[in-house]
Amino acid sequence: MLRIRNLKCFYGGIMAIKGVSLSVRPGEMVCLIGANGAGKSTLLAAVSGLLPTWKGEIDFKDRSLKGLDPPAIVARGISLVPEGRLIFPPLSVMDNLHLGAYTLHRQGRRGEADEILDSVLALFPVLAERRHQAAGTLSGGEQQMLAIGRALMAKPALLLLDEPSMGLAPMLVEKILAALVLLRDQGLTLLLVEQNARAALGIADRGYVFETGTIVLEGQAGDLLDDVEVKRAYLGKDYAGFTEGRP
Amino acid sequence: MPSAEFDHRTQRQLERLQSTLNRAFRSVPFHQDRLKCNGIHPQQVETIADLADMPFMTRRHLGENYPYGLFAVPLRDIVRIHTAPGTTLNPSVSGYTAHDLRQWTAMVAESLAAAGVGNEDILQISLDPGLNDWGRDYKLGAEALGASVIPNSLLSIEKQLMVLRDYRTTTLVTTPAYAAQIADHVRDLRIAPDRLALSTLILVGEPVPGERRRHLEDSLGVTTWLHYGLSEVPGPALAYECRQHEGLHVHDEHFLVEIIDPDTGRWVGPGTEGELVLTSLTTRAMPLIRFRTGDRVRRLEGPCACGNPTERVAWLTGRTDDLMVLRGVKIDRAQVLAQITSALAFAPDLYRVFVNTETNRRFLEVWIGVDDRIFSDEIKMLEKRMVDIGQRLYECLGVPVTVRLKERDTFDAIEA
Repeated sequence: MLRIRNLKCFYGGIMAIKGVSLSVRPGEMVCLIGANGAGKSTLLAAVSGLLPTWKGEIDFKDRSLKGLDPPAIVARGISLVPEGRLIFPPLSVMDNLHLGAYTLHRQGRRGEADEILDSVLALFPVLAERRHQAAGTLSGGEQQMLAIGRALMAKPALLLLDEPSMGLAPMLVEKILAALVLLRDQGLTLLLVEQNARAALGIADRGYVFETGTIVLEGQAGDLLDDVEVKRAYLGKDYAGFTEGRP
Repeated sequence: MPSAEFDHRTQRQLERLQSTLNRAFRSVPFHQDRLKCNGIHPQQVETIADLADMPFMTRRHLGENYPYGLFAVPLRDIVRIHTAPGTTLNPSVSGYTAHDLRQWTAMVAESLAAAGVGNEDILQISLDPGLNDWGRDYKLGAEALGASVIPNSLLSIEKQLMVLRDYRTTTLVTTPAYAAQIADHVRDLRIAPDRLALSTLILVGEPVPGERRRHLEDSLGVTTWLHYGLSEVPGPALAYECRQHEGLHVHDEHFLVEIIDPDTGRWVGPGTEGELVLTSLTTRAMPLIRFRTGDRVRRLEGPCACGNPTERVAWLTGRTDDLMVLRGVKIDRAQVLAQITSALAFAPDLYRVFVNTETNRRFLEVWIGVDDRIFSDEIKMLEKRMVDIGQRLYECLGVPVTVRLKERDTFDAIEA
């Protein structure tokens, strides 16, 4: 569904992603793990059109995303749940959700938007309870649910999530992850960036391990979960001091 | 390739190739130095074809980086260390992480399952000590399928046959050479093949010409299945036959196949035979990058009738290097000379090393020309010399060796 080949992204003169290839198949939940600054979020930014320039290929459903702006990418079926939620605090829960259906509304698919709204409220009943409350007054977990709900309102085929568990209490993390599993089981395709490698690998199908802008490992999530090398990569420790056993 | 032709397999190979190169470059000074010397960075490999710019690895590098120089993970991550006869004075050492072991077990199991091996089978492994590591891998793979495994052990051929008959072995994993020896023995003892439960013969270690294969099938009343592996590094069953017996399926999600012209190092055209070059895609402990196997293969085009979409190669007899293959073990003449030199404390003027194929009991025969330095008027001293050399070679190669002292005239006669 999503196929990336040799992606290179730059911030100023610095190459943040140095030629990364990865793929997500329909119905899969794939997670990207790795230390801070390894390039995971940059990759999501490139896929969702938030980076002005990148090199390489990003194809979604066999069509290139090159040169598309974020609204066009949302219209293709990709929604991003950004890091730190980025909801609109003064607006009500409902208004935040309606904003997520902006592209559907523009395409005159209002009926569909209403149906999706019902399913989002069914997925996160707490949002229905607080529908008229200002989003800024929600708890961290509720705000994350709102951010996911808002992204779902665009009826995506692929949902990108950047650090959905960040800053949440363990119980809330579990709730959010359970919702993602439910979405995957309903047929949604997900690409998840997480610092919480253990939690992410616990629910994902496959994973990629990032290290300083490159991918150093790929595999079934279950295999990566127990991998000592993953633990090291996730902790951001490098091999500079590794000389044991060398001749 | 147009993006409409989304090729999942190629994408997966590319992803794994790139992550393998990144790991090797990061963690193995040998790989890093070689790439830097050639002005290459892993990021430049954007397609499988770009791999062609990378330098080759050969068996020599395994010896030069003895013992752990090619490991890409710290020793604390290694759970098993294998030693195989190398082609230099140093043996070849390979390591496995727990993940690698699981992967090999799964690969061997899949290869055996393609030959119909399952939990109803009694599987016997008979390999020379030089292939001991394969014995362990086959044991794990067969156990994973639930087969009853009789592990590799140093038994005489009589005892092997006794086990084969009395334990009602259904599947035998061995080399073509040893299988032929067993077939001879079955004939000599006048055992009717249908008195044996044996139905599946997995042949490993060397390619086997059609007629030798049919002879084995007829004389033992079995179906044969050829497996391809590397004895020095990671292991057996990299490629295996399916029920169609039309070439060997490569585990191409774990190994990338290139076929090169051994002289130019360039890729050969479709259908042309050449040297098999392998790159590991998922191996953690010891990645291989463009490893020249010396084995001759030809790529088989088109899908296999069995439905398995993996790449297939025909494994051809003969080699692209001058290594001898004896009972699945690869032997370098220079290595043999080095061992003889070390045993004698000097290099013999005249010597000859060859595989004796006069009978089905194939063995390494070494002739050494007698001169003043070797000669002794005590027979027992001469015998001791021969025994020393033979033992040293057996220890290093793990195949039967016979050493003969020959008069210089014998060599002259051969020369003439």
